[in-house]
Amino acid sequence: MAGAGGLVAVSGIGAVCGLGWGAAPLWEGLRAARAGFAPIRRFDPARHRTRLAAEADDPPPELRRACPGWRRLSVADRFAIFAALEAVSGAGLAARFAEGAEGGGDGEVGVWFGSSTGGMLESELFFSDFLRDPRRARLSALVSQQVNGPGDAVARHLGATGPVATLSSACASGALALGVALEAVRSGEVEIAIAGGSDSLCQLTYAGFNALRSVDEGACRPFRADRAGMSFGEGAAVLVLEPLARVLARGAEPLAVLAGAGSSCDAHHMTAPDPSGQGAAAAVEAALADAGLPPEAVDFVNVHGTGTPLNDAAEWQALRRVFGPRAEGLPLVATKALIGHLLGCSGAIEAVATVLCLHHGELHPVRADGEADPDLPVSLVFGEPLPLPGARAAVSTSLAFGGSNAALVFSRWTGPAA
Amino acid sequence: MDGPGRLREPVLITGLGTIGPWGGGSGLLAESLRAGAPLTSEIDRSARYHLPEGACRACLVPAGQLGEWLSPGEARRMSPPSKLAVAASRMALRCAGLTGGEEAATAVVVATAFGPSTNTEALLKQILFEGPESASPSLFMESVANAPAAQIAIALKARGASLTVCQREAGPLIALGTAAAEIAAGRAPRVLAGGVDEMTPLLHALLDRFGALARCGQDGEEMARPFDRRRTGFLAGEGATVAVLESRDALAARGGRALARILAWGSAFDPTAPPTGWGRGHRALARGLARTLQRAGLSPTDVDLVVSGASGSRDGDRLEAAVLRAAWEGAPLPPVAAPKAVTGEYGGGFLGAAVLAAAGSPLGPTPGFGEPDPELGIVPWDGTPLEPPSVVLATSLAAGGAAAWVVLGQGMG
Repeated sequence: MAGAGGLVAVSGIGAVCGLGWGAAPLWEGLRAARAGFAPIRRFDPARHRTRLAAEADDPPPELRRACPGWRRLSVADRFAIFAALEAVSGAGLAARFAEGAEGGGDGEVGVWFGSSTGGMLESELFFSDFLRDPRRARLSALVSQQVNGPGDAVARHLGATGPVATLSSACASGALALGVALEAVRSGEVEIAIAGGSDSLCQLTYAGFNALRSVDEGACRPFRADRAGMSFGEGAAVLVLEPLARVLARGAEPLAVLAGAGSSCDAHHMTAPDPSGQGAAAAVEAALADAGLPPEAVDFVNVHGTGTPLNDAAEWQALRRVFGPRAEGLPLVATKALIGHLLGCSGAIEAVATVLCLHHGELHPVRADGEADPDLPVSLVFGEPLPLPGARAAVSTSLAFGGSNAALVFSRWTGPAA
Repeated sequence: MDGPGRLREPVLITGLGTIGPWGGGSGLLAESLRAGAPLTSEIDRSARYHLPEGACRACLVPAGQLGEWLSPGEARRMSPPSKLAVAASRMALRCAGLTGGEEAATAVVVATAFGPSTNTEALLKQILFEGPESASPSLFMESVANAPAAQIAIALKARGASLTVCQREAGPLIALGTAAAEIAAGRAPRVLAGGVDEMTPLLHALLDRFGALARCGQDGEEMARPFDRRRTGFLAGEGATVAVLESRDALAARGGRALARILAWGSAFDPTAPPTGWGRGHRALARGLARTLQRAGLSPTDVDLVVSGASGSRDGDRLEAAVLRAAWEGAPLPPVAAPKAVTGEYGGGFLGAAVLAAAGSPLGPTPGFGEPDPELGIVPWDGTPLEPPSVVLATSLAAGGAAAWVVLGQGMG
């Protein structure tokens, strides 16, 4: 469907994370700068170097009833299905995707998901048995273990018959999935794109990043002088993307417009970012060019902001490259400081946070832990939400392991006359 | 692009690099496909992951294939699939006549079904049995699914987008389509696109325990037998195939010739499929296939050759046959080749076969085929020489529900 300038609307959002099940508890927690970190329960953390993460609570009972084959779904699958159902409901599409409604139509609905590890949490339980004694292990525990498990589970649950693809480029996966989905809607390949990401905590990544000494023993402190690494989270996020004209035609209210996407690779090192920030800047510049916006049009940035010394320093260099002297005063939102790093889902849930900030006209704060870093003179939002009712455009960045960078540009929907 | 998956300007395949059980290089793959013999060897069962009566053979990369393409210093930092992917990328660039210095804006799109399994297994053993404090950082950094794509980018200084697609058997064709979309949208002048996987004894044993792999037939042979009534499963494979995709303008600017053209691509999903199996949604998938052809302005009867992803899977081949017959709506099918009987499933050999077929390289007989399955109604091509096809349709159905198609045409000078 053409029209409305070929713009692509975000018509619905859904989220699960350490702040709760749903976009509403996410926004409530973010506004209150409430960090979701607590001792890990998903697995025994006793022998891990660090012990904290922002875990999701148990799922709401109605989700179990809504999901056939619940026991065979991985935790990441369950997150993903919840977020997708919330997003399509918010988009006014609940009836279309109700059970038995064949809402996938004839190829008009596609699913693009990002995930780092899919059902690795369940795989670990399986391998713990299998590698000791293959006779003890139950193969059914592996059914949803693959990286593409959450995206496929969403497609299966919604009856999607269009393209379905999972991207697994570490921490950029969710943002990259949104970028591919954006192009699919723009080109007319699909009418509705269900795009997002899902990852659950698992020992493989928790121990792996600890082996790299990239995890803070406390809650992470992005861009602060004494930052000591990332904090983990888990969850899922989904955005429903549709042609703006289609959303308006059914009388729905877009939450925002996904105006552009860009990506790049540092081509520098498997785990360390290019300290010059050149690669990350290229992704942001590509996204702005895709959106047809100059850097001056950007009102705030939801930064990748992991809290590791090298990543934050490189991201600051990238911001300086793109925004020049304006970078120091540009409000920055650091969602990971509250919900942790959701890995393959981080780009998707931070996209949801960015949309919420634009939609509500205020930027969520973080806690003012630690001292400012004189080498990174950023304008993080601390303590209280920052009212920014006139904000028109925002960038969300995702900078991954392996040097993969992705950036998304969202603009506020202010009505047809805007 | 002037429509979904439809190109105003063609995307050209200008280079191909492959490494697999056939050895290193697309010439060796072409020879193996012409010969039509499965490229299997014994899988190591010494860890006792396998059932005693389980599958014994796989399509494995012979030792000693990487020396020309990777220095020891590079190789020591890489997981097995990263080594394969970087080697195949360098082969592809050489094939394309690209000698270095052109890669800065190059994007990388790589599919992997299972990622770096050797490293993941080793890391899990450390964490689960020795304790998380034993986890090796070097194993971890090369356990992520995007390690091969990242290592390609690092080795070649490719600073365009870096995407890793995980969609099981449909991944390589989705990667090719995603790469074509990058060029069509003007986001990259050149993309390295392909698929890579390794086949470890653990992965092989698990696939076999799921009942996915070919077992020994009455003739004593462990073969894939796509479309055959006696098929019992597929041969697990490993390797890497990477294609160089370029816009016509990029190729014209530097001169050179194309091996093949990408005319259209498309994908679909069968929501009736269980997570590890195939569904019953052949009619909807057939409409997805037809839509893909329509994007190239083609109908099924315009297809000269189908390079089918049929692998010998009982249910997967049944669905593939149903999709093809539904898409052709009763019209006779063109020749259908099933190269996974030679290359095995996973590792990109199928993708290499499709590109080679479009480039005019003949495909031989389908090894193991002897008894048509009346339910399927497809007899794979017997290797009789064909006119070079003008339109090749490559198909891949994945366990779990995904499906992908790419329409290829002949190259241009």
